[in-house]
Amino acid sequence: MNKFVTANPSKCIGCRTCEIACALAHSEGAGVEGLAPGSFKPRIRMVKTADVSTAVMCHHCEDAPCVNACPNNAIVYRQHSVQVEQERCLGCKNCVLACPFGVMDVVTVPAVRQFAGMTLSLGVKAQAHKCDLCIERGDAGPACVSVCPTSALTLMDREAMDETLRRRRERAALEAAEVAA
Amino acid sequence: MEKHMAVCPYCGTGCKLNLLVEGGKVVGAEPLNGVTNEGELCLKGYFGYDFINDTKLLTPRLRNPMLRRSRDAAFEAVSWDEAIQYAAKKLGEIKAKYGPDSIMTTGSSRGTGNETNYVMQKFTRAVLGTNNVDNCARVCHGPSVAGLQVTLGNGAMSNSIPEIEHTKCVLVFGYNVADSHPVIAKRIIKAKERGAKIIVCDPRKIETARLADLWLPLNNGSNMALVNAFANVLINEGLYNKEYVASHTEGFDEYKKIVDKYTPEYAAAITGLPADDIREAMRIYAAAPSATILWGMGVTQWSQGVDVVKGLSGLALLTGNLGRPNVGVGPVRGQNNVQGSCDMGVLPTEFPGYQKVTDPEIREKFAKAWGVDSLPGEIGYRLTDVPHLAETGKLKAMYVMGEDPAQTEPDLTQVRKGFEAMEFVIVQDIFMTKTAMFADLILPATSWGEHEGVFSAADRSFQRFTKAVDAKGDVKHDWEIISLLATAMGYPMHYNNTKEIWDELRELCPIFYGVTYEKMEGLGAVPWPCRDLDSAGSKYLYEGNVFQRPGGKGLLFATEWRPPQDQLTEEFPLILCTVREVGHYSCRSMTGNCAALQTLADEPGYVTINPKDAKALGIRDQELVWVSSRRGKVITRASVTDRTNKGAVYMTYQWWIGACNELTIHAVDPIAKTPEYKYAAVRVEAIADQIWAENYVQQEYAKLKGGLSNAVTGAAKKAPAYA
Ligand code: SF4
Ligand code: SF4
Ligand code: SF4
Repeated sequence: MNKFVTANPSKCIGCRTCEIACALAHSEGAGVEGLAPGSFKPRIRMVKTADVSTAVMCHHCEDAPCVNACPNNAIVYRQHSVQVEQERCLGCKNCVLACPFGVMDVVTVPAVRQFAGMTLSLGVKAQAHKCDLCIERGDAGPACVSVCPTSALTLMDREAMDETLRRRRERAALEAAEVAA
Repeated sequence: MEKHMAVCPYCGTGCKLNLLVEGGKVVGAEPLNGVTNEGELCLKGYFGYDFINDTKLLTPRLRNPMLRRSRDAAFEAVSWDEAIQYAAKKLGEIKAKYGPDSIMTTGSSRGTGNETNYVMQKFTRAVLGTNNVDNCARVCHGPSVAGLQVTLGNGAMSNSIPEIEHTKCVLVFGYNVADSHPVIAKRIIKAKERGAKIIVCDPRKIETARLADLWLPLNNGSNMALVNAFANVLINEGLYNKEYVASHTEGFDEYKKIVDKYTPEYAAAITGLPADDIREAMRIYAAAPSATILWGMGVTQWSQGVDVVKGLSGLALLTGNLGRPNVGVGPVRGQNNVQGSCDMGVLPTEFPGYQKVTDPEIREKFAKAWGVDSLPGEIGYRLTDVPHLAETGKLKAMYVMGEDPAQTEPDLTQVRKGFEAMEFVIVQDIFMTKTAMFADLILPATSWGEHEGVFSAADRSFQRFTKAVDAKGDVKHDWEIISLLATAMGYPMHYNNTKEIWDELRELCPIFYGVTYEKMEGLGAVPWPCRDLDSAGSKYLYEGNVFQRPGGKGLLFATEWRPPQDQLTEEFPLILCTVREVGHYSCRSMTGNCAALQTLADEPGYVTINPKDAKALGIRDQELVWVSSRRGKVITRASVTDRTNKGAVYMTYQWWIGACNELTIHAVDPIAKTPEYKYAAVRVEAIADQIWAENYVQQEYAKLKGGLSNAVTGAAKKAPAYA
């Protein structure tokens, strides 16, 4: 099963700590001082409506619409997650339209190439932009999960999922017993 | 990478963290397992440190003492020697000419720490000879202190922060915990998971209202009526603890007489709430085996703040929810050390350790310890009196430390006039602020991260924080500067470190005596009262239901509801209420210089408005709008949201362009002198030409930032020797 991060709306307080942590985890070590409104592109977004506050991000679907929609096979299954091979991304936005959760975006970043010790600018490069489960952080795991002050975020893997399901079934059984009584 | 233990400098939760330092620069923060935070931080704790590094995003750090010899001159950088001599001479002259009470000082509830605050009030009392010292608690939880001191005898939170998650009922009143204290919000979520009932009284659908079992969206300005109705239900439905009331309280008959009128039906008309919801709330509250009341600025920033605080403590007394674990009353302090500045006696009424200036024996004790013949016994001026006192010529000099009244006080036009009327203004800060622009002399101090000391968390816990990096520039610790000034004024004062100061004050304050630096080593937190060296402090107050009042009983107190002062009219039909938001803090000189926090929200800030009101005014989400009151007019951005109730708009007070305090009214509580920030009549207007408006905001912002930064760089250029 693919792993994914889930948010519990009854715990989220809409503080956006997760957004900053996510942006920082993908800042190539630039640190907080590299953050600025124009370039702030977290892969997790806090959403606040009249009745709900919660964070939304990629579900790392098992049969992912974005993977299926990509004409250039730029989105792949790797290490129990859905990952984008950025070199192959064309920026066609098929994946953006395919994603039912609105958590895939296409962004442009400055493209550069190293040549004879010099950095050459090659204009811009498109990137399909979404949660990569902080794959680069290795054992440190998802940055958003580690900072959320109310523990509203959890990393779901098979084990965590089984545990949740077990609890749900138990509750269902209890409720059924109550109805019967 | 080095790690240095600190306590977060933002809210009163008192989260412990490590500052990560590389090459003399703070590069990160990681949570520690402190008593109040247990390994959590919010975004300010995690990402709110880079202001130390002088990012200049909003305003520059101060690097040199700066002086201007006349108000129309520019600032020039001067040596410490010259700055101190100048200040001593000026203050000395003013004191000789107009008397000691013509001078006022402030403590700072922010990053400087308790020791500095102790030294500041000592300087004010022993050297200047006045009790004119105050701190920004005046504009926030002053009413909580004043109210609780009367009814229970102690102005602080009765129980500790960790206990919140073990209570069985949380009554949240006028307190947006998610935005004010995110890490305390987790405690409330945990309490709910453990089966606690949550009741929220707030006109807005705040985050806590979402998870509440019962949400009471009362009309803005009807607090007292609701609290009286709560008492009415407890008494008339026989839900109160008769035995407790009989043995531990007084004033019941008088109390009952007043609240009798406030039947839920009567209160319904004032609060706009269904009478049955009022009843239901008290049935839940009274049924809980343990219940905690938490409140914030929604209770205190009213002209009737003190009365409502007294009323809330009455609910706890009626139900016996005091004097044991997991219950109590919690005025949750906003700024990280506002509890501390009160603890340290930067109050016009009290010496450190809540010892009254009006008590001759206490004065005698402090006079002896400080080596002066006598100390002033008359209560000093309050911060909110300053504009008026200055304009009427009673106040001639002001020494402002680490506060920004020209941003945070109500009715800023009045505040500016006040500063202009004064003969001599000293501002001691880490940043060039709006207030500093009025100063004659600016004294640059070290920042949080560059010094050590002790903070008091909202729940009375003393915790130590350490220094992470060396300060850059010609700056000094706050307490060092004050000592130099005292010495120059003929009162030799010298401390080698904060521990020396701490030990001096410990000896003078019986309730802090047992709190040693050793006990606060590492993650140690010691809640006062802590009278003995072998005591671990008091997690909760009023053990054995003994209240700190003559006779030891709690006082039940009620009074009639009074409507708010400002009048809604056709011209100004909406209520403006000032609030805070999670990513920014206080006057924003700190968070506005943090890249991450600035990224989430920037000038001109927001006014939140209900979709129905917005539609009627032709305003769309994210458009710039004008907001005006009888006192001023500002530009800000509309945030149209269902969470805001109809008829009211909300602005956070930290914006420098969209400065809501240009609009607020100077109507204060008669006792605590806390202003009515929560109710000003305003008008909101759409702006047809949005492109013009966006440009206007950018221009104003650039002008403001430019002014602040030129004041600093210009001064440095003039006197290169000290730059
Ligand atoms: S950090 Fe947690 S509480 Fe805050 S917005 Fe993200 S999910 Fe919600
Ligand atoms: S797991 Fe990593 S990439 Fe995904 S949302 Fe969280 S922080 Fe961002
Ligand atoms: S601002 Fe408050 S809740 Fe957030 S980390 Fe700092 S002390 Fe903790």
